[in-house]
Amino acid sequence: MDTTPVFSVEGLWKVFGPKADRVPGDPELTALDPAELRSRTGCTAAVRDVSFDVRKGEVFVVMGLSGSGKSTLVRCLTRLIEPTAGTIAIDGEDVRAMDRSRLRELRRHRAAMVFQHFGLLPHRTVLDNVAYGLEIQGLGKAERRERAAEVVTKVGLEGMEHRRPSQLSGGQRQRVGLARALAVDPEVLLFDEPFSALDPLIRREMQEEVVRLHHEEGRTMVFITHDLQEALKLGDRIALMRDGRVVQLGTPEEIVGSPADDYVREFVRDVPREQVMTVRTAMRRPSAGQDGSGPAVRPDATVSEAIEAVARAGAPARVVDKGRCVGVVDSDTLLGVVAGTEQPAPPGTEQPKEAV
Amino acid sequence: MATITANPPRVGLPGLLKHRAVHKLLLLALAAAVLVPLANARWASGTWPSALTVDFSEPLAKASDWIIDNRDSHPLFLYFFGHVSNVVVIGVRAVYLTFLAVGWAGVTALGALVAWRVAGVKLALGTGAAFLACGLLGMWVPTMQTLALMVVAVLASVVVGVVLGLAAGLSDRMDRVLRPVLDTMQVLPAFAYLLPVVLIFGIGVPAAVLATVVYAAPPMARLTSLGLRGADKEVLEAVESLGSTARQRLLTARIPLARKELLLGLNQTIMMALSMAVIAAVIGAGGLGDRVYQALASVDVGAALAAGIPIVLLAVVLDRVTGAAGEKLGAEPEPHSGRGWLFALAGVVVVAVAGRLAGRLDWPDSWVVAIAEPVNRAVDWMTAHLYSGVPVVGGTADWAGHFTTWVLDPMRDGLQALPWWSVLLIVAALAWVIGTWRTALTAVLAMAAIGVLGVWKPSLDTLSQVLAAVAVTLVVGFAVGIAAARSDRLERALRPVLDVFQTMPQFVYLIPVVALFGVGRAPAVAAAIVYALPAVVRITTQGLRQVDPAALESSSSLGATSWQQLKQVQLPLARPALLLAVNQGLVLVLAVVVIGGLVGGGALGYDVVFGLAQGDLATGLVAGGAIVCLGLMLDRVTQPTERRAKKGA
Repeated sequence: MDTTPVFSVEGLWKVFGPKADRVPGDPELTALDPAELRSRTGCTAAVRDVSFDVRKGEVFVVMGLSGSGKSTLVRCLTRLIEPTAGTIAIDGEDVRAMDRSRLRELRRHRAAMVFQHFGLLPHRTVLDNVAYGLEIQGLGKAERRERAAEVVTKVGLEGMEHRRPSQLSGGQRQRVGLARALAVDPEVLLFDEPFSALDPLIRREMQEEVVRLHHEEGRTMVFITHDLQEALKLGDRIALMRDGRVVQLGTPEEIVGSPADDYVREFVRDVPREQVMTVRTAMRRPSAGQDGSGPAVRPDATVSEAIEAVARAGAPARVVDKGRCVGVVDSDTLLGVVAGTEQPAPPGTEQPKEAV
Repeated sequence: MATITANPPRVGLPGLLKHRAVHKLLLLALAAAVLVPLANARWASGTWPSALTVDFSEPLAKASDWIIDNRDSHPLFLYFFGHVSNVVVIGVRAVYLTFLAVGWAGVTALGALVAWRVAGVKLALGTGAAFLACGLLGMWVPTMQTLALMVVAVLASVVVGVVLGLAAGLSDRMDRVLRPVLDTMQVLPAFAYLLPVVLIFGIGVPAAVLATVVYAAPPMARLTSLGLRGADKEVLEAVESLGSTARQRLLTARIPLARKELLLGLNQTIMMALSMAVIAAVIGAGGLGDRVYQALASVDVGAALAAGIPIVLLAVVLDRVTGAAGEKLGAEPEPHSGRGWLFALAGVVVVAVAGRLAGRLDWPDSWVVAIAEPVNRAVDWMTAHLYSGVPVVGGTADWAGHFTTWVLDPMRDGLQALPWWSVLLIVAALAWVIGTWRTALTAVLAMAAIGVLGVWKPSLDTLSQVLAAVAVTLVVGFAVGIAAARSDRLERALRPVLDVFQTMPQFVYLIPVVALFGVGRAPAVAAAIVYALPAVVRITTQGLRQVDPAALESSSSLGATSWQQLKQVQLPLARPALLLAVNQGLVLVLAVVVIGGLVGGGALGYDVVFGLAQGDLATGLVAGGAIVCLGLMLDRVTQPTERRAKKGA
């Protein structure tokens, strides 16, 4: 069991502007809000004192509106943008201390990125675009094409190997972008709003593709998005950013169920809660004698699944975990979740789904 | 929504402009009120005061003499310019001899097959026909001379341009240094480049090639840098995120991403090189340009036309073929393209060997169609019947005469009669109102430099020709441009005409005007108008057509008539394009007006020609300097804040 986080970020700052270095260390400046900071120093703090760990095998979503600093944050991870202060470690190794060749090594083999506007080379075919990362690594033509062809198949682009990016649809282009990142077999995949340039239907299709890939390979992913639905759908854990700070970090259920402040609450207000909240949060202790009756649901079933079971049986449902009844949900508790009037479970109990 | 998009351009923009313009003019008036009485008190005179001129002719003559004396002995010439000159001569000679060795059939086949591979069958046929036409006109040898010079000059221009472009594209500091220089070189008339190279290399092929390189390399450099800088940021970031080295980024991403610009640069460089290779006949380039030059000197329109047609054909073919190569980019690559090239090469070899075996390397004399004589007969007939005395409309020579006496003379005399400081004041006011204080300052300094050089009078003479030509160009150009913007049919009809006219080198425009109007200032002005008109029409049409369709739609939804639409929406929104048209019109007109010195245009252009002809480089150099200053002034006066990428004409 490997408990070292893939990425460990501690007190990360990125400040743009003149003499940006002085801002993170100056308590007076760090206390200012963005507008004041800009008028005082001419600097913009895109990432302000951010700390988090990305665990092995999880999908870590960074979510926020445009300008919240999320894209800058993900670029700091591989130093595409040089951080101003703080530490970043990948598998315990200090990224900020890496020299140029070590950093190239990191980018070539350990972390690959998928971009919002795909970033494909228009003069190359699909196959050569996918093989590009391997070419950068110095692999021979035959070998890299062979490996690229496998990945092209994996993302569902067979038969299009010899097209140019301009001849593909948006969704297909992003599949190429995804394949290019996968081809180098990285330890972690970084996604920078990969689907926000796509049509809603294609977007859903691509999200399912990512879920499928994650399911098959269990690769660690860091996923940037401004779309709350997407964050809730894909994320094992979500970091919600505002003005460069992480305002809440937790599972989708924690974010929706117990928002840390009014900003988050406003943010998640329209989320269909019954599809995010699990039975675990809604259930109450079983009273004696209820052990035997009613339909059984898993503790990580969503509330909407439980509603269906309860409605069908016309009786409260039992929450069964490993053969043991751990709780009961009836129509009142379930309604309470939908209405948002239930007592929230105590927050802070982070439980990654894929914890090994 | 409708009112928001339709109204502000009408009410808001001019109001604001007026406000700013009034401010600037008031400030300028204040400065003038202090400075003018001072200047007037000390140097009251209509023309530039002689106290403020510096005589450059003596030091220049000395420098020129020194260079002539030391050309064979000084180490700088022996070890640097001497080598440059030798390499150029050997290169041009080698290419020329190769062309002759391959024979006319081989060269025609080479041209056609290259065009076939690069641009398709249609252009291949056109290219072949163009080469054969050159032969038929009896111009095979001069065409090969011009082509040989072009090959060497274009290769050198591309190398120089790409190196400079890479430097400017990859380094911000180099970009800051190079950009204003390249921008300025772009607006200077070709004629201004001739004398400095003659000073160093003397009259001959090396000077011609060097002048061509200096003239043709800037567009390559500009577009290379533009292409490198214009690359999609996210693609570059993606490439970097995969762990590429700087070298890998340049070779696999930045340069391939700039292919379109690079090919456009090549196209522009070739066209400018052809234009200059022809003009450089004045400094010993030989070839087609020389034939035109000699013919014009003796007003032999037939001979000039026989050499002019091949120039036009070369220009059209070169432009279309390189242009088609650019358009083919991004299309599906053909399979077996290597084999196609192999076939092409084999075809050329077969034709060349066949020509050699048949002993037909030189174009056979019996195949030459002499057009000079019939053309001259036609011109004589025109001279006799159309020059004057045509009932009601008068004759072409009458028109030219009237234009000279009623327009050019009063303008020249008026400009020369203005007090010198008022000319500077007008320049300052115009430049400042249109642009920034920076452009105004450059314009005023450039104008003052003309005075200091001691060529105030001839410069104002040239300026009067430029202004007259630009006025006509703009009136006609805007009218045609607006008409073309409003009628698709007219635009479609005009497009091929504009395409051909925009590719022709400046020099050939002199031929028809000499046939029509004889020699003098009016024909020079006419040539300038014809040369500048296509660019003005094109920019006007494009500017009007690019006006936001939403603004147009909203104004018609408010019930605007098409006249109201044009006046209140299209013209105000197309203002930047119209200003660009004025700027381009001035730059292009100046280029031809000075070349008009060859056909009796007088003024600065004549000084350059005279300096070259008499070996009096000092006079020529001073005139060349004044042309540069005039070009700078005219460009800056009509330059809004930032220069935009413009179509090379």
